[in-house]
Amino acid sequence: MAEIIALDDVYDAAILIKKILTKKGHTVHTFTEEEEAVDFVRNHPVDLAILDIKLKKMSGIEVLAQLKKIQPTMRAIMLTGYPTVETARDAISLGANEYCIKPIDKEELEDKVSRVLGGETP
Amino acid sequence: MSGVTDQERERGYLEIFQEVARLISMVLDPQQVMDLVVRRLPELLEVDAATIRLLDTGTNTFVLGAAHGLSGEYLSRGVIDTREVMDMLMKGRPVAKTGVDADPEDRFSDEAAREGIQSVLSLPILFQEHIIGLMRLLTRQPREFTPMEVSFAMTLAEQIGVAISNGRLFKEMENQVDFLKEVHEISRLVNSTLDLNVILQTIVERLPAIMGMKACTIRLVQPETNQLELAAAFGLSPEYLERGSIRKEDSIFKALKGEPVAVYDAPNDPRVRYHEAIRKEGIKSILAVPIKKGSEVIGVLRLLTTEHHCFTASEVTFASAVAEESGSAILNGLTFRKINLLFQQIEENERFLQTIMDSLQDRIIVVDDKKRVVMVNKRFLEQEKLSEQALLGRRYDAIIPWISADGDACPVARVLAAGEMLSRTDRHQHNGETQWLERSIFPIFDPAGRVEYAVETVRDVTSQKSLEQEQLAREKLAGVVEMAGTVAHELNSPLFAAMGMAQLVRDEIENAELRGEMEIILRNMRSMADLTRKMTEMTGFASKDYVGEARIIELHEPVPNGREVL
Repeated sequence: MAEIIALDDVYDAAILIKKILTKKGHTVHTFTEEEEAVDFVRNHPVDLAILDIKLKKMSGIEVLAQLKKIQPTMRAIMLTGYPTVETARDAISLGANEYCIKPIDKEELEDKVSRVLGGETP
Repeated sequence: MSGVTDQERERGYLEIFQEVARLISMVLDPQQVMDLVVRRLPELLEVDAATIRLLDTGTNTFVLGAAHGLSGEYLSRGVIDTREVMDMLMKGRPVAKTGVDADPEDRFSDEAAREGIQSVLSLPILFQEHIIGLMRLLTRQPREFTPMEVSFAMTLAEQIGVAISNGRLFKEMENQVDFLKEVHEISRLVNSTLDLNVILQTIVERLPAIMGMKACTIRLVQPETNQLELAAAFGLSPEYLERGSIRKEDSIFKALKGEPVAVYDAPNDPRVRYHEAIRKEGIKSILAVPIKKGSEVIGVLRLLTTEHHCFTASEVTFASAVAEESGSAILNGLTFRKINLLFQQIEENERFLQTIMDSLQDRIIVVDDKKRVVMVNKRFLEQEKLSEQALLGRRYDAIIPWISADGDACPVARVLAAGEMLSRTDRHQHNGETQWLERSIFPIFDPAGRVEYAVETVRDVTSQKSLEQEQLAREKLAGVVEMAGTVAHELNSPLFAAMGMAQLVRDEIENAELRGEMEIILRNMRSMADLTRKMTEMTGFASKDYVGEARIIELHEPVPNGREVL
């Protein structure tokens, strides 16, 4: 089973991700603050980061760049409530494995996480 | 004349005197008088030859006037007689000499011997106590002239002097009459035209021809520089005319002060410059006279000769009179030339302004204070498909196509009444299409400050207006899209959390009825998710009526391979 972090400025969204993925046997660490998430990954290697693009201080794209520097093998799924071509292009170029648009179905989330952890790329 | 009594001699003298008096009274030309006297006197006075020489006051020498009974070689000798004889003659005394061919110390003796002359009676020709010439009676036989013969010959010489002077006077008067006629003719010619070149050329060509001289020039004072500049010339080479400035010449200086200047020996006279050029051109004498208009000197006229010429008073007067007569005509010609130049400049300016006005894409129309059209530009005529003749003088309201549909007072009338500029943009229907016209109307005032004309410029700004409206719509759409995107984004995270949680709860519910109700909640949440998706992807909208005065918008989603719609 995988070590996962979920970073979203809306606390309930992070909790929802944790609930859904914990049921699937994963260990999910939730964060609403960018620095805390980055610090966590610096000390605890993770398999997957689920990052919202609109955060409090930084963008999810910037956080992804930092995390990839710390742990290049880490996989990532980007979530956004406002998709743009620019953020999608940046995320993919920084090594994101999925780019999902909120609101996303429980089943769709489970499916995407399973595929990303299984090594499949979109 | 020996063996003759005094009484007979006196009678003989009287007859001769009467004959000479009769002869010289027959002619008035001094040359004819001299020719007649030298031809007839030898016979009357029983001598072999006679000569008359006239004093040239310019050179103070005696020049041959007439001769009879002598060879050309003798007459062209260098000296007339001995110094002593000439001195006596200059003092007004006669000199009788015999044996003139045998004086070894006399230069004249050889010439006399060659000609066979033995005795000479030389007599001064006097007029009013001034020597004007000399007469010589010569014999080839030795002859002693008696005091009575000398005295008689003196009396004859005096008569000849009177006759020559009278002839000269007559000739002078005849010249003056001719000159007067010529002055009148030149005056008539130069005043019959306003063409300055014709005026100047007439003078420089006719004047030297009348006066028997080589050439003539006219220099005029240029008002801008106050310098003399060559305006016309006749009879001179381009090299001579381009020899340099003559403004520092004394002759010019004096002429500009209004005095005529006669230069006898131009190649050497210090009053003129460029002696080498003068010599090369073959000029000997120059007469410079001022060209006047009233008391103002406006130029200098110069007459030039190829022979040394002593300008007579009547010649100077004549040249001055022609110059003065020409002054007015020259000034008229100058004024006419200036007026012509001004007209040309005005016409040029008018053409230039017309070209500018015709090049403008705006329509321009000018009306007078009665609102009658006085001018329109090419663009206006092309647009309205009318000719200028068809428009000029017509009422403004009858010809313009852009009368305001909203019933406003005519803006041109307002400008004419108030004298203040006015600018506005009007909507106007043209061939069933809406046109936007930007109209600017300016007043033009007369010297008393009254509005004399109004100038209206009309520009079609329909394209500009359409662009502005399109821009406005684009900005409005961008605002709506931004707002929709923001709202959707803000809704999506809580909706995601709520929807996910609802799904988790639904999965836990075992009661079928409760599960069905949870499905209803989830279905509506999905509708909301569908709406936020539409909001993030919208590219346009249409407003539509809602209830009462309220309006709502209908979102447009992208059309694959199609135009975005507003």
